[in-house]
Amino acid sequence: MRWPSWNVSIGFVLLLFSALAVPSLAQQATDRVNVVHVVGLRGVKENAKGTLTVENGNLRFVDSKAKAVVATTAIEDVVTGNESQRMIHGSVGTLTMFAPYGGGRFLSLFRSKLDTLTIQYRDSDGGLHGAIFTMAVGKAEPLKKLLVAQGAHTSTPLQDSSSGSTPKTDAAREQKP
Amino acid sequence: MKTSIQVFGACLLVLTISLATPKWRVQAAPPLVSKASAIQVLMIQSDEIKLPVEFQISLYEHLIQQLEKKGGFQHVYRDGDKNAAGVADLVVLHSTVRGFKKGSEMARQVTTVTGETSIDVHCQFTDKDGKSVLESDLNGKVMFFGGNLRATFDFAKKAAKLAHDNFVAKSGS
Repeated sequence: MRWPSWNVSIGFVLLLFSALAVPSLAQQATDRVNVVHVVGLRGVKENAKGTLTVENGNLRFVDSKAKAVVATTAIEDVVTGNESQRMIHGSVGTLTMFAPYGGGRFLSLFRSKLDTLTIQYRDSDGGLHGAIFTMAVGKAEPLKKLLVAQGAHTSTPLQDSSSGSTPKTDAAREQKP
Repeated sequence: MKTSIQVFGACLLVLTISLATPKWRVQAAPPLVSKASAIQVLMIQSDEIKLPVEFQISLYEHLIQQLEKKGGFQHVYRDGDKNAAGVADLVVLHSTVRGFKKGSEMARQVTTVTGETSIDVHCQFTDKDGKSVLESDLNGKVMFFGGNLRATFDFAKKAAKLAHDNFVAKSGS
């Protein structure tokens, strides 16, 4: 009587874990990241705001006017970096530069940090392309991991550029006698 | 008195001719470089200088954009494009970064006089066989408005103008 109840409870727990795990993996593959296209994608304007997704072996950028798709297997290099920009940027930001008593200069001191994602890829004729995106801090590295998982190449190892929490614990676990 | 005026006039004439002749020669001299119907842009090299990859890509993409925008070439081929192999009068642009100073957008906006970003690039145009036909050092800067990557746009405009002025056949000629 006691053993079957244990089996049922273990089975129930396993079912619960699998139910929780499957949607999270699917979500990881289709997460949309809000980005700004700096330069590179054909048919997309510079500084266009849109979303970037990595799914079914494609990197997809979509904004209100255009969309661009790059096969992840065509990506020869993915590099992440960081930048900063004025909190008040764009046309309004430029106008604030003319504010009296150095108000614009003072506002320039307030800056927000950004992540950058740079990719290099080849088209069907073998022509080399590059594209640069900026996004909120902490978004570039997961995107890079997704791209690499789906066939993109990178010149910088993932462990070096990541925050390193998971690899460190793995290494520590391996070193234990 | 009359003779001295004549001598002075002759000297003046000789001086005028001697000054004018080299100018005529320069104007009449045929262009050193031949015209090309297509250009291929190779990826920016920065072996000596450590250049962030976003600057490298931005230089390359802006260069292609500006060459296309400027017009004159039937095709602007990218690095590795197989279609470029079939073009007889192709000119190839090799760009090597010789100097790079990453400034600060904040310093530019706050102080006006500091924080300049500057990139020095050596441009070499070769023919299809790799023979150099034109070499020039160009510079890209951003001094006040815009992010650091704007320096790449400044360089691209200058490089596109150089290519256009030297390799694009003028409609009148």
